[in-house]
Amino acid sequence: MNDALVIIPALNEERSVADVIRSIFHSAPNVDIVVISDGSTDNTAHVARGAGAQVIELPVNLGIGGAMQTGYRYAFDKGYHFAVQIDADGQHDPADLPRLLDEARQHHGDMVLGSRYVQKTAYRSSRSRRAGMILLATLVRVAVGYPIHDTTSGYRVVNDRVIRLFSEYYPIDYPEVEVLVLLHRHKLTIHEIPVEMKERQAGVSSITMFKSGYYMLKVSLAILLEILRKGSVKGEARS
Amino acid sequence: MNVFVIVAVFAIVFLVAVIDLMRRRVLMEQYSLFWLGMGLVLLILSIFHQWLNPLADVLKIAYPPSLLFLIGFLFLFGIMLHLTVVLSRLTMRSIRLVQELGMVKAELKTLQMQHDLTEDDRHVN
Repeated sequence: MNDALVIIPALNEERSVADVIRSIFHSAPNVDIVVISDGSTDNTAHVARGAGAQVIELPVNLGIGGAMQTGYRYAFDKGYHFAVQIDADGQHDPADLPRLLDEARQHHGDMVLGSRYVQKTAYRSSRSRRAGMILLATLVRVAVGYPIHDTTSGYRVVNDRVIRLFSEYYPIDYPEVEVLVLLHRHKLTIHEIPVEMKERQAGVSSITMFKSGYYMLKVSLAILLEILRKGSVKGEARS
Repeated sequence: MNVFVIVAVFAIVFLVAVIDLMRRRVLMEQYSLFWLGMGLVLLILSIFHQWLNPLADVLKIAYPPSLLFLIGFLFLFGIMLHLTVVLSRLTMRSIRLVQELGMVKAELKTLQMQHDLTEDDRHVN
């Protein structure tokens, strides 16, 4: 067993999951991979197992938050020191993973965030999307007291303290931004480093135009509630 | 026949229905208290509806029976809020259960595979 676990939630991705697993092992041979098959009805679990990943099959679909938390609970149960979140659609380059893990190992923050905005990278996005991200970044800055540039990045490495926290509480949907404020409330730190972001190879963003209003509302509300909470909430361990 | 008689008859039928559901264990006690409370309050206030008049005066409600509806309405708000709290709790529990089940199944599979390997070894040797 290695000390770092890559968590890949997958819903009916039998065609792409093996490539993702192979490319991660290629870039970072000394990690373990767990695929959370989130109620898949195809061969995702079998294919992932064949590619060398540990597989957890959820009998019903829990959505991204519930699936991701399964991975964190697994990491906590098995005693992993680091857990990695990486988008499986090819947007994140696994070649950056050793660098992110190094930063985490050198204790540069309890969460290391692979960011598109710290330095100029090739990433481009639409105007409304950028406006939304600026608004979220502003809210997060008010909540945590220091700037986080890429609040919605799903490329993250966390240490065992964060694994423990996430195994107890993880947002059900749209977790990325809320989690940053949650960490701050538990006095855990976030360290951002630049990564190259590729255009999405397969699939579309989980946030469509239709849903973006709800997304902004839900995430903003979650941040405001986090600010109201202060200290620990029942069911969360003090860290 | 006036509105209070209708409300009283409704409240009695409603209370009988709720108690019958509890008797048959279709409705759990902890979720029935709100309904029993609402039924009783509506029943009492429709029988002793003269009690509504001074309160309606204070609240400047010209038509006292509407106070009855207001009370029923507020009860419904309370019950619905309670229900969504219960629903949230159930959701969190079922998520936790699904996660645990997935992890246990994965562990079982790993153990099964290890077991099969040692069995195979035994046959080879």
